[in-house]
Amino acid sequence: MNKIVKMVLVLSITGAVSGGILAQVFHFADPLIQENRKKELREAIFVVLSEAKDYTTLEKGNDKEKIVVYKGIDADGKLVGIAFIADGGGFQGNIRIMVGLSTDYLKLKGIKVLEQNETPGLGNRIKEPAFEDQFRGLEIKPKVEYIKYRKPEKPNQIQAITGATISSEAVVKNINNAVERVLKNFPQEEILK
Amino acid sequence: MEVILIFISASIVNNFVLSYFLGICPFVGVSNKTESALNMGLATTFVMTLTAAITWPVWTYVLVNFNIPFLQYVAFIIVIAALVQFVEMFIRKSSPHLYRALGIYLPLITTNCAVLGLALFMVLREYNYIESIFFGFGTGVGFTLAILMMSGIREELEFADVPEVFKGISITLIVAGMMALAFMGFAGLIRG
Amino acid sequence: MANNNYNLWHEFKKGLWQELPPFRLILGMCPTLAVTNSVINGVAMGLATSFVLLSANISVSLIRKIVPSQVRIATYVVVIALYVTVADLFLAAMFPPISKALGPYVPLIVVNCIILGRAEGFAQKNPLTPSIMDALGIGLGFTLSLALMGGIREIFGFGSILDIKLLGEWFEPWIVMILPAGAFFVFGFLVALTNYLSKRKAAAPSGH
Repeated sequence: MNKIVKMVLVLSITGAVSGGILAQVFHFADPLIQENRKKELREAIFVVLSEAKDYTTLEKGNDKEKIVVYKGIDADGKLVGIAFIADGGGFQGNIRIMVGLSTDYLKLKGIKVLEQNETPGLGNRIKEPAFEDQFRGLEIKPKVEYIKYRKPEKPNQIQAITGATISSEAVVKNINNAVERVLKNFPQEEILK
Repeated sequence: MEVILIFISASIVNNFVLSYFLGICPFVGVSNKTESALNMGLATTFVMTLTAAITWPVWTYVLVNFNIPFLQYVAFIIVIAALVQFVEMFIRKSSPHLYRALGIYLPLITTNCAVLGLALFMVLREYNYIESIFFGFGTGVGFTLAILMMSGIREELEFADVPEVFKGISITLIVAGMMALAFMGFAGLIRG
Repeated sequence: MANNNYNLWHEFKKGLWQELPPFRLILGMCPTLAVTNSVINGVAMGLATSFVLLSANISVSLIRKIVPSQVRIATYVVVIALYVTVADLFLAAMFPPISKALGPYVPLIVVNCIILGRAEGFAQKNPLTPSIMDALGIGLGFTLSLALMGGIREIFGFGSILDIKLLGEWFEPWIVMILPAGAFFVFGFLVALTNYLSKRKAAAPSGH
């Protein structure tokens, strides 16, 4: 009997003390972690909208299907474009891309790959500037396309990475999906307003 | 459809052992005989499926609901340890034969990082309940597949003339590397 | 006193060769394989693990007399999970890029067999000071092993060490080194190498 009491006591005290310490540490660390996340997002937005100095966040939809866009604003308070995240499957895992769109809703201003698990040396070259830069000024109508082994011929084409067609295709497809969703949910008049 | 993709992805394409290095300890430790490898694989699959089934509600309804996500690791490891203990007791009572076959492996499952790993990945990837269970089951099947194949190879290796210093763990790891390369061929099987 | 000092030194030193965690004890293999695609990741993982190991050894050594033996594993696991969460939160708050690179492998320190193994096998039976020395030795051995693995894979896989290009343009990176398969190969060869060295050491007439 005595033993069982002791067992329960020791376990509960260990649990309570651990919980207490963790609550304290979390209280201290959580604001910093949130701050880091915000900074990361901010930097990504400023990469794809290079003139932007600040941004505001717009949200639509319910908890289940939330669409978020960021309006990039330059030093004079003028709208320079909108940014949003394209999330979707790649060759091996998820690919997350920050996409910048011009205010005329016709061209991409730039992209930045935030997260990817593609094959090192092949698919993961999607995060290299040589690939990302192809999207700067790319036309989105009728939609973004990729082309293999040759230089792009049309203003809405990029050249796929040799040996990583599937990863390149995934990037293009994810961007198209995200652009379509944003265009549907955030009409141009609404953004310019 | 989605759940089948998750199942195939967890068991073959993104095999926990060969591409995330989870569950290496039992993979190396219990893969010298096909029979024990199969038993270990089945016991682990069982615990993994249950782990997914229990940690999901614990995460969603307790940890998120009460806003105490920082207790995630403590809570998950307690759930897993308790689960393994419970399964051990249950099997001992219900089937002494099965207990003799699995008994010594059960405690090892608690420290199998693939079990905790699957609970963490499940949360990170925001699976729903049904998806989580398929993910847990698929991970277990993938683990069984890997350990079973390895045990088959190791039984043959016993007759091979391996240099003295490479015997045992060393050659097992090098063979595992070759298996990992072979499994890379499955990548791209699922196009998002 | 002199004898005591020697013992403490021994507790520390054994982690560096005799009980070198990944290669000799074959423990803690998951992180050794998973996060060693570069030196910096390896070192960060090694330090995080050492922190948990040291804290867990201290705590277990202090409470070893009051914990009933039936619940000792459960208690130790909770204590370890506590320190792992602290390490994880600390990395996420202070070093976000490292936290991102290590990802879910930080929480997986909870089930790293080295830590429970040391708590159960050493700290539980020994007073505070030897437990600290033991944790420091094993932790350092583990960190150095991860750094070595990371170094080998980084130089062959990227041609660099700590992101500094060492090999010129002529060098075609061995992509296999960064892939999971490369981790298995390097680990396998290092285990063979330690086997070879320890055999030679044993064969040589022991001087001391």
